[in-house]
Amino acid sequence: MGIPQEAYKAMEDIVGSQYITDDQVIAQAYVGRLGHGKDTGIDLEMNVPPAVIVLPRTTKEVQGILKIAHRYKINYVPASSFWISHCAPKRPNSIVLDLKRMNDLEIDEENMCAICGPGVIFSQLQEEAIKRGMYTTTPGGGSQVSVVANHINWGLSPLNYRNGVPGRRVLGGEWVLPDGELLRIGSMSTSDDPFWGEGPGPDLRGLLRGWIGWFGAMGVVTKLAVKLLPFHDEGLKPVGISPHTTLQFPEKKRIRWYNFVMPTRESLVECMYDIGKAEIAAALTKVPQQWRYIAKAGCREDFWEGWNTNEARKSINNIHICRVMLVGYASEEQLEYEERVLMDIMDSYGAKLGRTRQSDNSWIKNADSATMWMMTGAYTSVQVTVDTVDCGVKGGEGLAREKPAFTPPLMDDYGEPGWFQVSEIGHMGYIEFLQYWDPNPNQENLYKKDEWNYIKVPTLDAEWGMFNAFNMYASPMNLTGKAYGPECRKWFEKVKAEFDPDKISNDPIPWDVDEYVDKVDWVNKEDYINRDWSKG
Amino acid sequence: MKDNYDINNYTYDMDRCIGCKGCVWVDHVYMPGVRYGVKCPSNAYKLFDGYAPMGREKIGKALLEGRIDYTPEYLDVMYMCQLCGACDAGCKRNLDLEPLSVLESLRVKAVKDGKGPMPAHKKVAQNIAEKGNRYGAAEKRSGWITKDTKISDKADMVYFPGCSASYVEKGIAQATGKILNKAGINFMTLGDKDTCCGHPVATSGMLDEAKAIARKNIDILKATGATTLVTSCAECYNTWKVIYPKMLSKNFADMGYQVIHLVEVVSKLVNEGKFTFSKPMNIRAAYHDPCRMARQGEPWVEWEGTRGQWGILTPKKEYRRGTFGVYQQPRDILNKIQGLDLVEMPRMKENAFCCGAGGGVMDAYPDFAMWAATERLTEVQSVAAEAVISACPYCKKVFNEASKANNMNIKAYDITEIILACM
Repeated sequence: MGIPQEAYKAMEDIVGSQYITDDQVIAQAYVGRLGHGKDTGIDLEMNVPPAVIVLPRTTKEVQGILKIAHRYKINYVPASSFWISHCAPKRPNSIVLDLKRMNDLEIDEENMCAICGPGVIFSQLQEEAIKRGMYTTTPGGGSQVSVVANHINWGLSPLNYRNGVPGRRVLGGEWVLPDGELLRIGSMSTSDDPFWGEGPGPDLRGLLRGWIGWFGAMGVVTKLAVKLLPFHDEGLKPVGISPHTTLQFPEKKRIRWYNFVMPTRESLVECMYDIGKAEIAAALTKVPQQWRYIAKAGCREDFWEGWNTNEARKSINNIHICRVMLVGYASEEQLEYEERVLMDIMDSYGAKLGRTRQSDNSWIKNADSATMWMMTGAYTSVQVTVDTVDCGVKGGEGLAREKPAFTPPLMDDYGEPGWFQVSEIGHMGYIEFLQYWDPNPNQENLYKKDEWNYIKVPTLDAEWGMFNAFNMYASPMNLTGKAYGPECRKWFEKVKAEFDPDKISNDPIPWDVDEYVDKVDWVNKEDYINRDWSKG
Repeated sequence: MKDNYDINNYTYDMDRCIGCKGCVWVDHVYMPGVRYGVKCPSNAYKLFDGYAPMGREKIGKALLEGRIDYTPEYLDVMYMCQLCGACDAGCKRNLDLEPLSVLESLRVKAVKDGKGPMPAHKKVAQNIAEKGNRYGAAEKRSGWITKDTKISDKADMVYFPGCSASYVEKGIAQATGKILNKAGINFMTLGDKDTCCGHPVATSGMLDEAKAIARKNIDILKATGATTLVTSCAECYNTWKVIYPKMLSKNFADMGYQVIHLVEVVSKLVNEGKFTFSKPMNIRAAYHDPCRMARQGEPWVEWEGTRGQWGILTPKKEYRRGTFGVYQQPRDILNKIQGLDLVEMPRMKENAFCCGAGGGVMDAYPDFAMWAATERLTEVQSVAAEAVISACPYCKKVFNEASKANNMNIKAYDITEIILACM
């Protein structure tokens, strides 16, 4: 056993013997290799099996476990749906808190919010919300991710076009601090009702979530109220057999997709601004070309038959798809009005309306992020630019020019500048730069995918003045912290030291990336990590 | 010739699992909410990720790489699973991986390494070897046959009742015979050569023994001259249609026989207006999709080739994703019965929650099997149904046992009994 017997026994007394194990067979199931970051350097080389896995049911149980961890100085890592490699233990003799049993879900229809335990996932919440004429924004991370974890970790969704990022929709809740003390935030600081985000005194939600969350470095959120948003009241009917399952739109004109072929990439960007200015639409995105080929493919081989063609190669610069969703939240007339406005805007750009199915299988309730791994077996997004959309697209085009030097091992996507969309009715642009590679360790120069992920992209971002949200957890802070300044690594450490001086909870992210980059020999540390960014 | 049960053929599938838990969650499009959101019985029962298919794959890989060794917990992880295939259909919604083949092959490896199967499975295998049936019953297998059942000496169709309908749930075999008689379909049986299909032996990982049973049964069927085998048991159906060709590395299409379940026969006749129901049945019932006929009901498609860069397979593989299982046919039948109010449970078709009995779980882990059946019966209650109808005798049996043990007052029927009662 990797932890003291009495610590194990104390935790067993809290949760019951059925919900704790130190069996090293079971521990293998918790050795990373999951979700975003899978097959990157930190995932392949830094994960270790936990000493103990414990499944608490209540906030009180979480408090008890964290207090024991502190008493015996045992590191712990909390995780809900384990969909990010940073949530896997990287220090020996760790406790994993698997939070799947904490799946209480209560819908407060009057106050339009959902009170969730960390074990509740998005498709479960969406089902309950839509039944009541409301909705949440299922994130790009997938329907299978935890509502709580994703909300405090930013949680961007294609549906954020209208309502902003979910991190701003966090209300009251319970937060067990790293040492086991319970902090109730928002209206829960004065009552048991978490319907409101603000409370007396400083608003601690900012400390909890920051820009991109703490990945368990600041304890465990055990209950959180999140806003729900008004939806149409016609429902969405699931139809089909796997893998062809989809939500059928109602016959009444309350929700519709529109696919437009735009004449140029510039017009695609400009129309996004115009649609936002008109304050219409429910979602608005550019469709990357490889996703179109995935959608048509019945299997990986089908994809490559389509992708390995001149038609696909040419499509990157010749076909620009703008996908728009309209929702008649209040009435059919609302949708009809928005449709007329949309058509006027698109006509002004010479856009052509293409055919599309009037159903949804990837945005509203099911977000099948797993499909990203279908093409090559490995995927990650290295760039999430949050800026104006035209600025983001220029960054994506810049990265596309640099990427051939790392292709292979990266998959050739013919200069695709990324997936982009707007949020907050055009105020915020968002671009995600996607990479796929063959993770077979026999591939030549496979380390270059990590060089691209961890060093090249953040360096280009810093040089170009782009803000990359993923830098906050997927790039070495020794590089980005200095580049962006003020030294946010030091700020991280100060906060962490205040709440968790013994560093018992998970390390702040991306400390694992820093550790990994520091130990590998392929990084030119003088040029990148040790560079004096104040000199430009 | 490729060995479809050699775990070394599935290391890619194990390594490329991304942990999305498509193997565990109900398809998100159909996600009914927190309650009934999990379709994997073992991960609903034992909550650690090690008991989820994605965890089993990582554990199996750790064994292959020498990071762990066989332990009692390892064997529980691998055998406390119904092999219901919910994981397989879920995973293949998005990815081209073979989680069910991984789980089956890890059992085969355990047996080859002298560590598996579980003692209860060995006893069942011994019963089959010595008595030709999983129960070790000494009685004749034809005891289900009633005087008024017309069985031909020679026919193009063979009815293969399986162990359960031959010895325990005889009413199912009797109903099947009468339904075929009423439909005017001549059928024969394998007579004194009728024996177990070998399903329990195959699923416990005893591949050599299972192959021997398969070859023997195929030879017996061939000797009759019949080309179609009809079953009333989802496990037998799956064994002849999937497991035999998979073990023998052949396409099902090349096996030289057809396999159909009685519901496929009857639904075709019902939809053509050639089979009608004259009696009503006033009951509100839910249909339970038996795993091995529904999401696992697609015929085996043999593939042999190589994997190249980007994981591309040459030649292209035709995946069995659970799309074309037997889902609609039983519903078509039940919807034609006057008074029968058929309702769907939250977990249905490819997302159905297993009855709990399969994959050797009823033999080795009866408490778990009963727990799973009880969990499924709460779902029957959730749609206010008074009965559950399945198309597999093992489902019927475990449901009735669970209902009785928990005073749930839900009656489980086999669809053959419903058809017989209403015709």
